[in-house]
Amino acid sequence: MPASASSPPPPPPPTNSRHEDLIGRLSSSSTHAKLKALRDLKNQIIGNRTKKLCFLKLGAVPPITSILSSAAGGGDDAELNVSLIIQSAAAIGSFACGFDDGVKAVLDAGVFNILLSLISYPNDKVVSAAARSLKFIYQSKLAPRYDFLQGNNMEFIQSLLNSENENVTGLGASIITHSCQTNMQQKALSDTGIIKKLICMLGGSVTQKEASLESLATILKGNPDVILKFMEPENGGALGTVNELTKDKNARTRLLACMCLIVIRNSSPSCLQDLRIKTKLILILLELLEDDQVGDEAPFALSSLIAEKEDLQVLAFEANVIDKLVNHLRKGPLLSRRLEGILIALANMCSRLERCRDRLLSLEAMKFVTDALSQDSGEVRAAACICLKNVSRSVKNLSAGLFMNENFVVPLVRLLFDDLTFVQVSALDAISNIVVDFLAHKKIFMQCGGVKQLVQLSKSMDSTIRVKAVCALRNLTFLVNDQCKEEILSELTQLTLGSLICDPETCVQEQSLSLVRNLVDGPLDSIQHVFAEDALLLHAVGQQLQSASKAEVLIQGMYVFTNVASGNEVHKEAVMQELFPPLANDSESVMLKFLHSDDSRLRTAAVWALVNLTFPSSSGAFGRVMKLRNAGVVSQLKNMVNDPCLDVKLRARTALGQSMTSDDGST
Amino acid sequence: MSLLWHFINGLAQIVPMATSKKVITREEWEKKLNDVRIRKEDMNKLVMNFLVTEGYVEAAEKFRKESGTDPDIDLATITDRMAVKKAVQAGNVEDAIEKVNDLNPEILDTNPQLFFHLQQQRLIELIRNGKVEEALEFAQEELAPRGEENQSFLEELEKTVALLAFEDVSNCPIGELLDVSQRLKTASEVNAAILTSQSHEKDPKLPSLLKMLLWAQNQLGEKAVYPRINDLSTATLEDPAV
Repeated sequence: MPASASSPPPPPPPTNSRHEDLIGRLSSSSTHAKLKALRDLKNQIIGNRTKKLCFLKLGAVPPITSILSSAAGGGDDAELNVSLIIQSAAAIGSFACGFDDGVKAVLDAGVFNILLSLISYPNDKVVSAAARSLKFIYQSKLAPRYDFLQGNNMEFIQSLLNSENENVTGLGASIITHSCQTNMQQKALSDTGIIKKLICMLGGSVTQKEASLESLATILKGNPDVILKFMEPENGGALGTVNELTKDKNARTRLLACMCLIVIRNSSPSCLQDLRIKTKLILILLELLEDDQVGDEAPFALSSLIAEKEDLQVLAFEANVIDKLVNHLRKGPLLSRRLEGILIALANMCSRLERCRDRLLSLEAMKFVTDALSQDSGEVRAAACICLKNVSRSVKNLSAGLFMNENFVVPLVRLLFDDLTFVQVSALDAISNIVVDFLAHKKIFMQCGGVKQLVQLSKSMDSTIRVKAVCALRNLTFLVNDQCKEEILSELTQLTLGSLICDPETCVQEQSLSLVRNLVDGPLDSIQHVFAEDALLLHAVGQQLQSASKAEVLIQGMYVFTNVASGNEVHKEAVMQELFPPLANDSESVMLKFLHSDDSRLRTAAVWALVNLTFPSSSGAFGRVMKLRNAGVVSQLKNMVNDPCLDVKLRARTALGQSMTSDDGST
Repeated sequence: MSLLWHFINGLAQIVPMATSKKVITREEWEKKLNDVRIRKEDMNKLVMNFLVTEGYVEAAEKFRKESGTDPDIDLATITDRMAVKKAVQAGNVEDAIEKVNDLNPEILDTNPQLFFHLQQQRLIELIRNGKVEEALEFAQEELAPRGEENQSFLEELEKTVALLAFEDVSNCPIGELLDVSQRLKTASEVNAAILTSQSHEKDPKLPSLLKMLLWAQNQLGEKAVYPRINDLSTATLEDPAV
């Protein structure tokens, strides 16, 4: 008997096909069906990023655009038309809201100009819908830059700002915030009285205040002339108004007002000098840190206030900023943006002031920093590196060997392999400081494979990475023992170092020469390193001294020779060979070039070398002095006994004195 | 030396004998109160503000006619807002979402927390109506992505989805989510968001005033004994306990 079984109910159609179905209905012949589908789609995507992406991939934007375009062109049923416009504009706007992929799709579909034309449509709801959508587009960096200086564009912006419709004035402000970049544009906007309109908006609704504050900050940024005009009495105490807004009920308004004041202060240092204002700004930003809505952005604003400004860092320190920031870290775990902001703020605080670094260390906050080195977000990792770099500027703690331990070194070395270049760069900066460790406990860094990776990075195509890697190696080699030097050199190889000395980038040359200088510094044995492999390094340095033109490169090269010349006879003779090559033509010798230089640093380096070369108790001193005399060096030294630079004067006298002694010693 | 003594003596006299609180009788108190002037217009504005913020359209309209007080927002917008609030309170969340989007499509696009709470309410309603399969699908398709998009929602999300695990939802530990109060909470959140988008204050002034009253009474109570208002709804003065 055949078994009978009822078949199970059919499963609901898979989601994707439902979505495709919906998109299909957008092209329906029935206008009502189109409208319904539009509303359906709009309601599905608003607030729902996942759905936005899904519909985007299924190609929803082009059919919506064509509905918008044809409805905007007019149709039979006016009311239906308006509904179609409003719904399609809203859908487009939602695709663009906070979603770069959506903005791109929307711009590609050519909807921009249609929306722009709808701003002058005779229906307020349509105007609002279009203005909103355009505003979302303009909040993305993908939006086209509006050219204020072309044709009637400035008038258009003015008309937007004059509108009764809040969405339209908001759009005008958004366009300015997004597109105003050059000083010329700022001046043009200021000259046409747009600033006055924006100042009016400061008295409007919350949305208007916020939009206006952002625009004003953009127009005033980095432009002291425009700021001066802004503060003129005809603008009715605009600065005072912005100041008042720092106490507004709404947190975001307070933040934007602070940011506006910070922009003014940074662009025009004579403004807002009052101590009370500076302290107040710091306190407001600290309080905003607690806010759910804007707490993520507050530390970035604080950073822009204090960056590079010691006086403000002092004020902030006295306001207990460090303790408060660390308290936030303790509350954790924090979302990426907030963590990044707090780390950057701490980094700025510790950039110059030792008391800040002390405080941070005493609060035992470094564990948060080292944890952040392994965070998912690249920005957070980089921020942690920057913080570490600034804290490790503390000579006191470097001397105490605080940073040369596993907690710091292991995660930092790992970051040298990071996928993101900017993270690698930040890690290199931090490592460069940390390896200066005066106690020379550098073993741990080498055990972690740090040297190997630094050497790898010194061969990078990216010149920034290359120079920073060599700088780190240079600092690593500073004051380090012979065994370590051997290890570093064996990893780096003479050949690589030689080619780095001749790198196409002068900054790499400078760091490489400095590295060699550190290599030969120390006990006599160290000098041997430049003589290995047929004196490969010595010749490379000599070559650079002959051919380079950048002062910093020349200085390092000469100091290499100074250090080598502090050795034995063989060493001193080798240096003489390099400085006065036998087959040189009549042109001025390198030594004389240095001695004649206007740059006191070059003169100093040269006379130091001469001090070592003319050192009297060496057997070959007499011979060398003869050579120097013949090359005109000794007579030049006589001219330098009253050199304006003290260092030069003293060494020149010493070298000259030694030259005379050698002479007298002859029979 | 004598100058110093005079100074110290002077100080000694300034310090008051702070042993007992000042007592104010009901007669004294009422007399003082009568001297305080309050303007009628201010009270009317407070009432109007309350009616408008809470969304009592008809009452606001009537009050406007009878008192001549101008509402600070367009009464027409209140109707739209109230429709949304009512929809949520009745558990028709999908309808509420459509209405909010018609009113202002920006609101849900720029308020991820509100959107999440509305979706959450939708799920709760599906579970309440016993539509388990639909609820499961909804949780997977609509709610889970919210947690992916924003980690701060994960905890609440897990709590809500956990409702699906219980057979007898009305008696489970997280049953409060099914309570009507949850609907009211969500409704209030939507109401506030709409008011903010219309640049209106989301809280009426009246509660703040009453809070200030209670606080001020407590402050005064530390220094004096006086007739207090203990029942805010009757606002009667109660004699001080002596």
